[in-house]
Amino acid sequence: MTSKITVNKPNSFLLLNGDEAVARGAVEANIKVATAYPGTPSTEILETLSQAAKTLNFYAEWSVNEIVSTEIAAGASMTGARAIVSMKHVGLNVASDAIMTLAYTGVESGLVIVVCDDPALHSSQNEQDTRYFAVHSKLPLLDAGNPQEALNMAKEAFQISENLHIPIILRLTTRVAHGKAKVQIGNFQKLERNISFDKNGSRWVMVPANAIRQHRVLEEKLTEAKQLSENSPFNKIEDNNSEIGIIGSGVGYYYARSVLDTKKFSWLKLGFIHPFPSELVKLFASKVKQLVIIEELRPYIEENIQRLKLDITGKAALGLSEIGEYTPDKIRGAFAKLGLAEKASVSSVLDLQPRSPNLCPGCTHRAFYYALNSVNQHVTCDSSKCIGCGTCEKVCSFEKEHVSNFARSRIRVVRVNETDKGAVTCHVCPDAPCVVSCNSGALSKSIKTGIISVDENKCVGCGLCVKACLYGAVFLDSNKKKVFICDTCQGDPVCVKNCPKYALTLVGRANDKIVAGDIGCYSLGFLPPLNTVQSCLCMGSGISQAAGMAHAGVNGKVFAVLGDSTFFHAGMPGLLNVVYNRVNVCVIILDNRIVAMTGHQPTPASGRTAMSDDAKIVSIQEIVKSVGIDKILTVDPYDVKATVEAIREVLTYDGPCVIVSQRSCPLLIERGIPCEVTEKCGSCGLCITNFGCPAITKTSAGRVEIDSTLCSGCGVCVNICPHKAILRRKIQ
Amino acid sequence: MQQLDFVFAGVGGQGIVVLSDIFCEAAILDGFDVTKAEIHGMAQRGGSITAFARISEKVESPLIETGKADAVIGFEILETARSLPMLKPDGTVIVNTKYIQPSNFNKNLKPKTQQELLNIIKNLSSNVYEVNASNIANQLGNNLTVNTILLGALSALPNMPIKRESFEKAMANKLKEKYLQINLQAFELGRQSVLK
Repeated sequence: MTSKITVNKPNSFLLLNGDEAVARGAVEANIKVATAYPGTPSTEILETLSQAAKTLNFYAEWSVNEIVSTEIAAGASMTGARAIVSMKHVGLNVASDAIMTLAYTGVESGLVIVVCDDPALHSSQNEQDTRYFAVHSKLPLLDAGNPQEALNMAKEAFQISENLHIPIILRLTTRVAHGKAKVQIGNFQKLERNISFDKNGSRWVMVPANAIRQHRVLEEKLTEAKQLSENSPFNKIEDNNSEIGIIGSGVGYYYARSVLDTKKFSWLKLGFIHPFPSELVKLFASKVKQLVIIEELRPYIEENIQRLKLDITGKAALGLSEIGEYTPDKIRGAFAKLGLAEKASVSSVLDLQPRSPNLCPGCTHRAFYYALNSVNQHVTCDSSKCIGCGTCEKVCSFEKEHVSNFARSRIRVVRVNETDKGAVTCHVCPDAPCVVSCNSGALSKSIKTGIISVDENKCVGCGLCVKACLYGAVFLDSNKKKVFICDTCQGDPVCVKNCPKYALTLVGRANDKIVAGDIGCYSLGFLPPLNTVQSCLCMGSGISQAAGMAHAGVNGKVFAVLGDSTFFHAGMPGLLNVVYNRVNVCVIILDNRIVAMTGHQPTPASGRTAMSDDAKIVSIQEIVKSVGIDKILTVDPYDVKATVEAIREVLTYDGPCVIVSQRSCPLLIERGIPCEVTEKCGSCGLCITNFGCPAITKTSAGRVEIDSTLCSGCGVCVNICPHKAILRRKIQ
Repeated sequence: MQQLDFVFAGVGGQGIVVLSDIFCEAAILDGFDVTKAEIHGMAQRGGSITAFARISEKVESPLIETGKADAVIGFEILETARSLPMLKPDGTVIVNTKYIQPSNFNKNLKPKTQQELLNIIKNLSSNVYEVNASNIANQLGNNLTVNTILLGALSALPNMPIKRESFEKAMANKLKEKYLQINLQAFELGRQSVLK
């Protein structure tokens, strides 16, 4: 596929988002190497470059993580080839070990590090501001406010990098990276570069004596960089003879221009923002009486101007926050407060049902989480449907005791009054108060299923457990003087099958296991109705968080879930560490063969490179085995029953173990035949309230329906429906 | 010329991003400056998606202020209603009346019916074009043409400054060749639904 950024028509216009514009700027600057790890909102930079690489004769790759991609770009630049590496803001943390010292070694040929910040956390775990990383690393930073600037800055950044011999950071924010605009493209530079490496350059060897010298060199380069920022075309004054001057950077500057009457203010747009162009700002300040600062996230410009002993109207006076992103509405509100803009008209507030984020129809992660939640199952009753008929008591006592007698039933109907009725049975509580209360050791809870069993030889009929049960679900047989408790008929309860009103369902217990999560689509498993995942910190964190909890001494097996790409990125060291330090955790690798959340980039397990060449398919199982895991189970998550059994198997295994849940992301493959709900459905709603597939909904009439345009045809609902009421549509 | 602001709203997977791209490409073909912004959640499919397109001689902000949009183009009725605070008082609504009801895990919330949502939309705007694009697309034999039907409807609005030919050219540039003919048909059916 040829990318639109390969078009050779200088000065013509393209509709580009900020990421695509950076890619265009890079190819205009004749890059030779481009690397990245996917991360919203930076992904489309390398995606666009990889589609242009063969046409324009350069190399592009998806690396396994951001520090690897940075080191590759650095290596290329050390030989005289221009290189670009792109990442999201939190990816910069991963790459920072390399970048902090790369500032000292400097570069040979232009090296541009593109970082996309995410104010308002559209798809991130924090709101860090990369402008402060520029201060921290002492590297120059260009801050783009729209796609045109992104293109121009990307191209120019290579030249600045080469002039100063240090890497340049180009910063975008989500609105710039993912906002599209009409962008004027430039010409392709043709550079003749001799690719070779200076083997005698002591500046590449950062031992202390060399490094302290290079630190001095870096300081000298920064002084030069300040001269560049003072005179940069990216820092532009528009003097309208106004008493009020607005200084801004990023997209917020353009919100202000769109909300205000531009002619009534003077403007200073800052793009080359580190080192801070203080002389230019002083010049601008001398032309106006009041300085208003517009910048998202942290008050970087504010603090720099305060250091110049100038008065400003900043975030506090404007009532703008460093939390979240700016919007035209917020900017209007701020200027209206100062009497400098008209107030916004009050808009209507509508009370509408939210469309919460959810895993897609057919998601393999949902199926796995459902299995994880189904390890410990129990029967529940929807009291709005229960009519108190007592059928459940009859069939239970008949099944278990071969008599029809409610007093011998393991489920009991509770009739509070004429309208309020329900049935109760054992809830398989994680802390099992009944087991705790038993003095004779007669009660035990199955590690695998959570079911409480009674050893009749030991039970003395004292009734302590009957009193301890929070639900009134432990019963005493007055003849035998022994207690009895529901065992869910080994997962196929007769009461559920025979309830005439479909009030009873066999449901799993979400949240009764510790499941440390990670970064990826599967972190959405923390949401209802699955409620399976309980943490999400950073790439690869889940395994080690789980290990920490295990070392601290939490009860039971601790689980960690992460995806295939996250495993390759940062999960492998964590897994090695749990083997080395022998921790009783189960690591679940949700292998869907792709980086799904960022839009389906290949991984080392995909068999395909960024440039669409064939690649070796790396086996996750072999890696897991080679780091020393002895217990490895591979499951197909669509087979819920087998997956439940695999999880039960590891519950009794002591030591580190791995389950690989393996199936391609359904968005990658052709949809299957959609499913439909038959007349057997009694609207128990299990497929909605516990499984939560977005293709399954309940109509206002209370009927369960499957939307055939959304259904992926995965068929998991067919297997989990307790009443066999969902079938695949017949092909006509 | 004055600024014209458009909001496209619907559910992930309905083709909102592609459609708003085609709209912007058509605007560029006619010489306008244009910006586009998208708002979507973390989910790949099934979440709310909103796209803003702004055309003028010179556009600076990619986002639209609340209450300033000239038109809302809704791919689904709930998401259309959700976007209506963006609309200016005399703005226009094109709405595909299809209702994709989200899963509801909040027992205290009673979801609105399709008719209730339509009433909300009609109460807030006196300029509503109901287009049953999902039905038209089904009759056409390809339910993925909902977006080009709505583009056809949008192109036929009075005072639309972008030329019909530019929309068709932008579609030809953007869509795969084997799908172009059916999408051009869909575009024409969309136009007729507004012009009739």
